[in-house]
Parts: sequence; structure tokens; C-alpha cells
Amino acid sequence: MKSKLLNCGYRHHLFLALVLFVTSGTIQLRAHPEFQQFIVKHSGRPVNCAFCHANADGPEGAGLGQIGHLTAAEQAELVRARTTFEPGAKLNSPILNAFGNHIINRLGKRKFLELRLAPAQLAETLPKDSDLDGDGIPDVKEFLAGTHPLISSDGNPWLLFRANFRRNLTPIALTLAATVAGLWGLGHLLHGFAVAARLKDDEAEELNP
Amino acid sequence: MVDAFLFVGLPYMAMVTAVIAGFRRLRHNRFSLSSRSSQFLEDRQLLWGSAPWHIGILVVLMGHIIAGFLPQVWSRLLAVPNALITIETAGVACSLLAVAGLGVLIYRRITSARVQAVTTTADLVVVALLMAQIVVGLLSALSFRYGSVWSTGTVVPYFWGLATFNPDLTYVADFPMLFKLHLLGAWFIIWLLPFTRLMHLLAVPLHYVGRAPLLVVWNTTRRRQHAVAATIQAESRREFLKGAAGVAGATGLLALGVSEKTLNFFKGPRPDAEAETALLQKKLQRLQQTADERQLELERQRNDLIVVTHYSELAENKGRYFIDYAMAPGLAFKGKDGLPLVISAKCTHLGCTVGSEVNSEGQIMCPCHISYFSIQTGQPNAEAPAKLPLPPIGWALVDATGKVVASRKPGQPVAGSVDTALLAQCSLYLTKPGRDVA
Amino acid sequence: MKLPESIQRAEAYLAERFPVEKMNYTSLVLKKEVPIHRLAWGYYLGGLALFFFMVQVVTGLMLLFYYQPTVSDAHASVEYITEHVPAGALVRNIHAWASSLMIASVMVHLLTALAMKAFGKPREITWVTGVLLLGITFAFGFTGYLLPWHQIAVNATKIGLQTVEEIGKYLPGQMAAWPGQLKEIIQGEASVGQATLSRFFALHVIILPLAIAAALGLHLASVQLHGMSQGVDEKPRRQEKFFPNFLLKDLSVWGVAFMVLFILGLGLPFESLFAYPLFEPFNPKGSTPDGIKPEWYFFWVYYPLELLPLWVIMLGQGVLGAGLMATPWVFKNTNRRTLQLIAVAAGAYLVVMTVFGERIYHLFKG
Repeated sequence: MKSKLLNCGYRHHLFLALVLFVTSGTIQLRAHPEFQQFIVKHSGRPVNCAFCHANADGPEGAGLGQIGHLTAAEQAELVRARTTFEPGAKLNSPILNAFGNHIINRLGKRKFLELRLAPAQLAETLPKDSDLDGDGIPDVKEFLAGTHPLISSDGNPWLLFRANFRRNLTPIALTLAATVAGLWGLGHLLHGFAVAARLKDDEAEELNP
Repeated sequence: MVDAFLFVGLPYMAMVTAVIAGFRRLRHNRFSLSSRSSQFLEDRQLLWGSAPWHIGILVVLMGHIIAGFLPQVWSRLLAVPNALITIETAGVACSLLAVAGLGVLIYRRITSARVQAVTTTADLVVVALLMAQIVVGLLSALSFRYGSVWSTGTVVPYFWGLATFNPDLTYVADFPMLFKLHLLGAWFIIWLLPFTRLMHLLAVPLHYVGRAPLLVVWNTTRRRQHAVAATIQAESRREFLKGAAGVAGATGLLALGVSEKTLNFFKGPRPDAEAETALLQKKLQRLQQTADERQLELERQRNDLIVVTHYSELAENKGRYFIDYAMAPGLAFKGKDGLPLVISAKCTHLGCTVGSEVNSEGQIMCPCHISYFSIQTGQPNAEAPAKLPLPPIGWALVDATGKVVASRKPGQPVAGSVDTALLAQCSLYLTKPGRDVA
Repeated sequence: MKLPESIQRAEAYLAERFPVEKMNYTSLVLKKEVPIHRLAWGYYLGGLALFFFMVQVVTGLMLLFYYQPTVSDAHASVEYITEHVPAGALVRNIHAWASSLMIASVMVHLLTALAMKAFGKPREITWVTGVLLLGITFAFGFTGYLLPWHQIAVNATKIGLQTVEEIGKYLPGQMAAWPGQLKEIIQGEASVGQATLSRFFALHVIILPLAIAAALGLHLASVQLHGMSQGVDEKPRRQEKFFPNFLLKDLSVWGVAFMVLFILGLGLPFESLFAYPLFEPFNPKGSTPDGIKPEWYFFWVYYPLELLPLWVIMLGQGVLGAGLMATPWVFKNTNRRTLQLIAVAAGAYLVVMTVFGERIYHLFKG
């Protein structure tokens, strides 16, 4: 049985797994600036590590949401996250925010590492209909535009306005009706006062011509 | 079987009869298309009966018609939080108004001698049918509430099915008896329409709403003056009424939309346990950050030396941040000569924090307005918006026993030993300005 | 007893500026008329500014119920309002938009009042109180901007106050330190922190409101007593009655402004016009994010400040301030055509510098 492991096919697999494990281990020790550089170049907007990570300064450090500030349970979850290469897992890495976890859960770590060479492809591979912050702009569009996919008040202003306007049509219509009715009513009230005043004037004139 | 007749056969019979008999009456007996008003015979009770009856029934009918012809708009409107309650309340209130008015009208028709003289059997049948219909409708609304909502999924498709010759009984097959009675009453009223005074539905003088006031010219002075005053009074009364209606409408709409939201704003949120925990955690973190900052301030008040980092952590091309005695950011590098290079990182232009990466020319950059500062001298480059250099900060290297091995005050040469081997054992500290270190 | 001449003259001067005999129903309501001419649209701008101010008071009071003015809790309390309080996001967004709209309408109101020579006798006090109101409004904007305590708020305030300190380099000897000390008095401590937040909060929430109430009282009393100024050089051929016609049109403008504000508040979060790192909680130990700049209504002075030496800007500000205060006397004999040209030129400068300021800066600085 043991000899079977060292047969051609299995040896190949073993070697690859070892290489991947070692290289991915060392790669993981650094954050992935290729994506940030791509976003800044493509959208022209400044973004920081908080786009995908839990801490705005990235995963390295001893602050909240960084590697040096994890409890035992969180460290275990981090190890689990780092070693899951295929999509479909339900990970909750403590150094990633919901968008970062969404990426790893949907793509898997292997695919994500491949995308480091072509960050623009991330927009093609993520699901197109996902909108994590519910602002009406899909996450992939926010990725390309450099607006944060978890902040509902961050997005292309025109698109946000359109989505919010559609969502709030009934209150806007009712408020418009109230404003128009109120102004119409006030107008007639004021006219009523003006006419009544004219009447008083006329009466006064009649008494003292 | 009976249901099929009552809810498909009867409606078609009623509608066809109404249309044909209605046309015949219009062609052959045009003058009978009137409301046969008995106002000249008895007008006080008529006011108290006819006005509430008509206002009430018209509002209720309008609700039925909007729900029938614009079900999507109706559903959308009812989704607004207080709209449902307002509309249901308005419906019940107007029904009660209509019932009261109709009651007075019935009383009048039966007891007034003059009116009795012009009453026909058809009149009595109509008035009884109407009363029954509205009472049954009111009872339905009260016993199975929010009919304005569920009607769009049941009665409205049923009617449209009839209208498009695609009748579907299943919509109304399982209705309670009260509703079925109400539906039946409606078909009977439609059936009777061309045979009774209900024909006056087609004789409503709608054009009166837009008709200009008639100009009457009196030929006596007194009447003329009186007429002028009366016109102005009427005009002002009209304006006040319109004004009151507009303002009341606006206030009603605003109360509908804004009152609940304002109340909720001041009531505040009631987060669930999970949200509450997250909020408290966030608050705790922020408090922790403030506590840490106060700790730093206290440290700088008390101590003459503030630790930055161990000598081995210093790099030539990337600085380590620290907070100096003025609570401003600073950077520590390892100089080419192996000695620490400690300067302020607060840009002298507008105070942004300068970056820690050293470029190939030995400069660090401030990202706000792109000034480059040499880490050796602190001088900005020629085109930089910053004109003043980054000031150096006094430091000391202290070994494991607490002895100061080397130190440097800003602008002065290094004091103490410069032996790199010795220095490698030390930690870098900041020295308090104005104090001498031993 | 015969009063000295000077006091008599002062009395006559004030009596002309505050004609209290006109404080009756007939003059204020029945007989008041408003001229109709091609610049008459300018008559609505003052009321518009007042409307936006009232919106600010209401929304501000509502925000006050939840805001906490401490450096550890300010940002979290604003987040609480936006994310958890029902309709909190709407109230906050309206407060942000109405502040910009109020400042915009105040600036246009200044320009049209200048163009219409609305400061002519006897309306000098209206003008002077108006200039005070302008300053107070800008102070409202500056103090209120700090309160959310995020990156752009604190850093922009730091930069703004830094300018005060820079004046010191022009002063000789000991006096060079005075601007720095003044800056520390404004800040309350060596660098912008809790003391700054506390006093900016006090300014924004009570001191400036009291000041604006006083100035506004005088300003509105003067406007009501004197009525609308003529506005153009040739006497307008048509006049309309103030009550009810002009008043109704004024209220309709308020209605339109209200709907615009409501739709903006519901539909367009003001944060979407900036990059999100600028709204993260202020971190004194970390790096400053890109894109820190003051609010748009300071661009007309901020970009020139970046391009020109400080003394040029200080001189310009001094001339502008003195000029604005002294306008009723400096431009007493200027005809309206010239004033209109000045107003258009000033307006063009404001628009160009606000909209294109950043590009102009890069044009010169590369």
C-alpha cells in the first residue's frame, strides 16, 4: 500500500500539495496589495484595506481585526480560513469583513490567489447579483467603481439616487400631495383674508365717503 | 349550482337588463331621468338626510371603485403604515354617516304627508334595498376587517372576470354569507337601476363644479349694493372653505406619514439582543481606544524616557511610527551609520502624517500635498508645498540594565558610545525635551 | 431741555433706519407692495435662507437627542443615529444637505442684494446685520463639520486652524507667537482633541444660535419695516401686493425647496460624494487618508491659499471683510449697472473657484 503512494500519479499530487502549502503559507503572511492598486487605478478613487479587511490598515498588526489581536477561537477560525482552498465553505475569517469573507466563500482561496495576477477578473468571477449592503449597486460594480460594498451610503451618487428614489416613491408622492394641498389651501386662505379685508374696506368707505 | 346562478348568471342578467332598459328609458322617456326631488315639499329633514347620505355613500363607493380599477395603486397606498387604518376608519365613519342620513330619509318618506303624496312603491323598495345593502356592507367590514386589503385579491379579480367574459366563481365561492349577501344586493341594485329613481346616477350635474357664477343685475340700488356685498362674502367664504380643505388635507397627509415616524424617532430604536451586544462591543472598543490615548498622555507626563522599539527592529528603508511628547506622530529609522534617525512625522505644511516608506533618494513622502522630506536632514524638496524641515527628536539608547549607552539631543552631536555591537543590545527611547538623561 | 446736536442727529439717524411708526397692520400687511422687474427673483432668496435655517434648527434639535460630544463616543453616536434610530439617516442627511443649501442661498442672497443696491438708505443696518449673519453662517458650517469626529472632519478643522497659526511668521519678535496662542485658545488645547470638540459643540448648539437669533431679529425687523427695496434704477412700472400675492409666491418657493430637500435627503446620502476612508473614525496615531479638504463653501479661499503666499490671502480677506461691512457707504453713489457687474464678476469667481478649484491647483502645481 505504501508503495502505491509513491507511484507516479500520487507523487505528483503530493509534491504539488507540498509546494502549494509552503508557497501559500508564505504568501498569506503578506496582504494582497494588487487588488488595492487595481481599484485605485481603475476607479481613480482612494481606497484602503478596509475594503476587504476588518481593519483599515490591513491584517498585519496588533490592532482590532488584525493578526496580533485574536482570541484562541478566532485564531482557529483563521487557520481554517487559510487552509480552505475550494469555494463553498462557510468561513468567517476574523481578519476579513463580510465582503472579504464573501470572496473567499464564493471563489475559494486557490482561485483568489490566481486572480492576484489579473485583479480585474474578480469582477467577472464573483456573482453578479450579490449586493451585500443593499444600496442597489451590485458588489462587482462597486468593486470596479472603488465604492465600499458594505457601506450603503457609499456608491456612485447617481445610481444610489435612482435606487433610493424608486424605493421611496410612495412617501415622496404622499409628501408632494401634502405640500401641494397645503400650499393650495394656504393660498386660498390668504385670498379669503384679502377678500374679507376688501369687504371691510368697502363697508368702511360707504360709511365715510 | 345555486352559486353559479347567483354569482354568474344573475350578474350578467342584471347588467344586460340595466343597459337595455336604461337605453330604452333614455330614448323614450328622457325627462324621467331625474332625481324626482321633493325639496319644494319638505326641505329641512331633506338636508339632514340627503347630505350625510350622499356624502357617506359617495366616499364608500369611491373606495370600492378605486380598489376595483386601480388595484396596484390601492395596494401600494395601503402599504404605508397608517394609511390602512385611516382608510378603514374613513370607510366605517362614512358608512355610519350614510346609514344615519338614509334613516332620516326613510323616516321622512314614510311620515311626511306631502312626501307621501309623491312616493311610489319603487321608491320604498329602493330605499329598503339601499339600507339593507349598506348595513350588510358595514357588518361585513366590521366582522372581517381590512377588507380594503383582501378585496384586491378576491372581489376585484371576480369582477374583472365577469367583465372580460371569463367568470371565475372560485374567487367568491368560499365567502361568508354576509359577503355573498352584499354581492347579491349590489347585483339587485344594478338590475333595478333603470326601473327606479336610481336612474338619477346618470343625471348628476357634474358641470356645475366648473360653471362660472351667474351674473345677476339688480335694478334697484339697495338690491345692487346688497348683491355686491353678498358676492364678496360668498367669494371670501369659498376661499376660506377651499383653504380649510387644502390645509386640512395637507395636515391629514402629514399626520399620516410623519406622526408615526416622528414618534418612533423619539422613542428610539429597540435593537434585539444580538444588535445590542454588537453596539455595546463597539462602544467598549472606542472607550478602550480613548483609555489607551489617555494612558499615552499620562506616560508622557510622568516619564523622562518613552520606549519606541528595540534596536534590532529599526530598518533603513521603513520607519516605525511612535507618538512623541507632543502627542504628534514621529518616525524612527536606522541611519546609514547604524545610529537611530528619529524625526517628527507631522508634515510641516498642514499637519498630515508623513508616510513611512523611504524612497531611493532617502526621502519619505507626505500623501496630502506630495512633499518629500529627506530623513537625514528633514528638509523638504524644492517643489514641496512644505517649506520647513521636519524637526529631529531627541533619543536615547538604553541597554538591558537601564544604563544610557548613547543619546542625542536635537541639533547636537551624539553623546556616548557609537559601538554598533553594544548598540544592538539596546532599546530606543525618546527623551523628554528640556531634560537631561544620565 | 435741548439735547446736544450730535445726539439729536443720532436719534434722527436711527429713527430713519427703524421707522417704528410703520409697525402697524396697515403698513406691514395691507399697503405693502413689492416691485416687479427682471431682478425680482432675488427677493425670494432671503426667505429661502431663512427656510433652510429653520430646517436646520428642527433637524439639529432632533440630532441633539442622540449625539454625544465626546471623542470616544461622537462617531459611534452618529453611526447609531444613521443605522439604528428610525428615520435617523433621513434627519442626518437632511441636516447635511440643508447646511450646504443654506450657505449657497446666503451667498447668492448677498450677491443679489448687492446687485439690487438693497443697502441704500435707509437700509444700511439691514446690510450690516446681513454681513454679520454671513459670518455666523460660515461659523455654523465650520463648527458643525467637526462634530461627527471622522477623518475628514478633524483633519480639515486642523488644516483650517493651522492657517491661523501661520500668520505668526509675518509678525515680528514676540508677536510671532500670538497667532499660535490664539489657535490654541480656539482649540482649547495643543492639538485638536476633546477640548476642541466640547467648545465647537457649545458654539454650534447654543452660542451661535443665540447670536444668529439676535442678528436675525434686527435683520428681519428692518426688512419688514422698510419693505423690499426698489431693485433697479428705473422706477418699476408694476408692483404686486405683498399680501397675499408675494407672500404666497414666497411660500411656494419654500414648498419647492422643501420637496427638493426631502428628495435629496431620502435619495442621495451626502457621503457618496466623498471617498469612504474619509468617514472612518478619526485615528490620531494612524496615517491621514487621501483627499482631505474643507467643505465646498471654503474652496473660494482654500485653493488660492494653496497657490498664493499667505499674506496675499490675508490682505484680500481684510479688504473683503472691511469692504463688505462698509458697502453701504463705499458704494453709496454707485449706479446699479456697475453693482450688477461687480456681483456677476464675484459670482463667476465663486463658481469657477468652487467647481474648478482643484483642477486650477493642479494646473499650477503639476
